[in-house]
Amino acid sequence: MSTLHFRDIHKHYARRTILAGLELCLRTGSCTLLTGENGTGKTTLLRILGGFEKPEQFAADTGHAQLNWRHYRKLLQSSVLYLHQQPYMFEGSVRDNLSFALDRSLPKAEREQRIHTALQWAGLEKIADTRAKTLSGGEYQRVALARAWLRQPRILLLDEPTANMDREARNRTISLLRQLRDDGMALLVASHDPECFSSLVNEHLNLSAGRLQTVTPASRFVNMTLLQQAS
Amino acid sequence: MDALIDASLKALHLLFSGDMALWEIVGISFRVSLLALLIATPPAVLLAFVLAYGNFPGRRLIIALFSTLLSVPTVVIGLTLYLILSRQGPLGEWHLLFTQNAMIIGQIALAFPMLVSIGHSALQAADRRAWETARTLGASHLRALLTIIYEVRFGLLAAVLASFGRIISEVGASMMLGGNILHHTRNIPTAIALETSKGEFAQGIALGMVLLVMAATLNVLLHHFQGKGFVGS
Repeated sequence: MSTLHFRDIHKHYARRTILAGLELCLRTGSCTLLTGENGTGKTTLLRILGGFEKPEQFAADTGHAQLNWRHYRKLLQSSVLYLHQQPYMFEGSVRDNLSFALDRSLPKAEREQRIHTALQWAGLEKIADTRAKTLSGGEYQRVALARAWLRQPRILLLDEPTANMDREARNRTISLLRQLRDDGMALLVASHDPECFSSLVNEHLNLSAGRLQTVTPASRFVNMTLLQQAS
Repeated sequence: MDALIDASLKALHLLFSGDMALWEIVGISFRVSLLALLIATPPAVLLAFVLAYGNFPGRRLIIALFSTLLSVPTVVIGLTLYLILSRQGPLGEWHLLFTQNAMIIGQIALAFPMLVSIGHSALQAADRRAWETARTLGASHLRALLTIIYEVRFGLLAAVLASFGRIISEVGASMMLGGNILHHTRNIPTAIALETSKGEFAQGIALGMVLLVMAATLNVLLHHFQGKGFVGS
């Protein structure tokens, strides 16, 4: 299991401190849940890790190299995928949107095959040719996850992925996230609803006053999983 | 009233009889304006994008400057370029004055601020998530830029059409930089101005009809491509 260790993340807006020397460790094949009150900086943290907000201070340790912000963006932006709370759909069909996540140098037949598999993976076959901008919230999230599945990043950052969803859509999203985690992705999920992700997370962190506090450590989740398997 | 009807009938006759002198003027107009637009659009859209998505000192000042340039009279642009291109001017040795190239330069100067201003508004209105989603999905800067342009294509098309309407119908810069020379630099607006001053209204009305038909066609095409054209489900 490889890890990516973020250290010393500082972020201010005007005179307000949002992140004050925050530390975070993300592991492949593991899901970390990030909770916190509104305005504590959950989205800011995800956007920094996604490469879209510049922090005042930042360091990342890949295990092989120490990276500053500039190097992190350059080297890891292609391995990190950030999903907005309401994912953005480009003009065109669901199929076109999935195609965007694929390398353009791939042969046409292979592209079509991968898109077909992604449609099946996310249960989107019936709406493959529907205009993506007309989909429901749950379908938006599934298309976004199918794009992530095609892209295969090392780290997937999700901002409130189940907000405003009904029970069925929420369960489908959790199921897809579980598959992504089991495929080896490191998931960092910001949410106000820890219950919803209880079956998925390996570690639960709470963001408060610019720092992370461990609510449930990864080791406890490992013990719980082993107990569940034994019983 | 009879004179107006008589001149309009003569104008229709000129148009449909294939009058070479008239259609040559129309050809020069379209050639000059389309070339100016073709040259001005790519850098203007790129600058509009930088102004919409970049965050650098002086950005607002540049936006305000281009908005100001929108309201500068065409004769002032014509006069400024005349002074630059005339024999005593810094670019006098290029011998561009009273050529179609000088008219193209003048029309680029007129179209550019409009393309930047309206293009900036269109790009600014685009959802920022579009850029971020394109980048997080691995798109290069160029591919992400082309994606955003496609997302706001109707707003940018409106900027292009508005700019085309401005430059093909302007008199001041074309008159000063082209000199209204028959077979060379006489375009629709300078010909209308000349024929009207001579009391020859038929050709002026015929050329005016060409401009009106062109404007109507472009707007119908824009609305067709835009789709429904109303806010609703």
